[in-house]
Amino acid sequence: MMDYKYIEQLLERYWQCETTLEEEQILRSFFHQGDVPEHLRQYNDIFNYESEAKSEHLSEDFKQKMIDLVEEDTAVEAKTITLSQRFAPLMKAAAIVAMALTIGNVAERAMRENSASEVAGAPVIADTYTRTEDVKATIKVIDQNQSAIMAKADSVKTMDLIDEQPEIIE
Amino acid sequence: MKEISFKNDILPLGDLLFRLALRIVGGNRPEAEDIVQDTLIRLWENKEQLADINNIQSYAMTICRNLALDHKEKFENQNISLCETDHDRADDHDSPDKALIKKQQYETAEQIINQLPEKQRTLVQLRDIEGKNYQEMADITGLTLADVKVTLFRARQTLKEKLSRLAQ
Repeated sequence: MMDYKYIEQLLERYWQCETTLEEEQILRSFFHQGDVPEHLRQYNDIFNYESEAKSEHLSEDFKQKMIDLVEEDTAVEAKTITLSQRFAPLMKAAAIVAMALTIGNVAERAMRENSASEVAGAPVIADTYTRTEDVKATIKVIDQNQSAIMAKADSVKTMDLIDEQPEIIE
Repeated sequence: MKEISFKNDILPLGDLLFRLALRIVGGNRPEAEDIVQDTLIRLWENKEQLADINNIQSYAMTICRNLALDHKEKFENQNISLCETDHDRADDHDSPDKALIKKQQYETAEQIINQLPEKQRTLVQLRDIEGKNYQEMADITGLTLADVKVTLFRARQTLKEKLSRLAQ
């Protein structure tokens, strides 16, 4: 008959919580190998259970579900942004519009200045000159009429003079 | 600071947490899965803190145990079955008779452990199934070292007594 004293001692110390983790592993290995004497067989179930219970695990479906859950959560994870960060795209758009307007304005002004000096400038001056000449001619005609009227009044000295309207003045 | 990855650092703790949750809720797998899901999500949400924690495994087990205890308290009256476990793992290389005997032995042992008070069965799980030392057991459960030893001692005495009674 084999000597099981060592195992019996270990077992006794195990129930008293005096065994180390290594000694407890020796006990589990002993019961797991199957050749267990009759008087120790009552402890078979518990030590074999302890060996096998560690293989209990989660299903692969569950693990995949967890991965999906976390990835989904990460994808929609809220990001803390400041007010200035939030309005940054709007500010960019506003800056672009402002730049476009400024450039347009400057370009328009430059174009107007060019055309005024090269094209539009000459007719304006000519037109002004023509009008000045017209005014001068009119004034001259008025002077002549007035002189004529005065001369006629001097010679005729009648009230008919009033009816004689200068023809040119209108 | 090391960046925590869900797939590499957190998800691998799932099986360990599942076994602990299963022990605390007395073998109800869907309930244990819910607890593990909550634990993993909580760990992921606090991933910044995990980088500073020495023993992530113990930390995760503490969270899992607390959630399991909350869950158990909340759904105490809704537990339908204590034994919904599928124990086919032992059947692979055995004849049908042998497999059936093994399955019965497994279920008997599981029932005996699950009938222990929560602290006792959690400590049996940590020590005899997960191979944790006394300090780790104290860290996970929040008990003192002395309490851990006394509680485990009581658990083992109860197991011994029940096994002896079954053998008679």
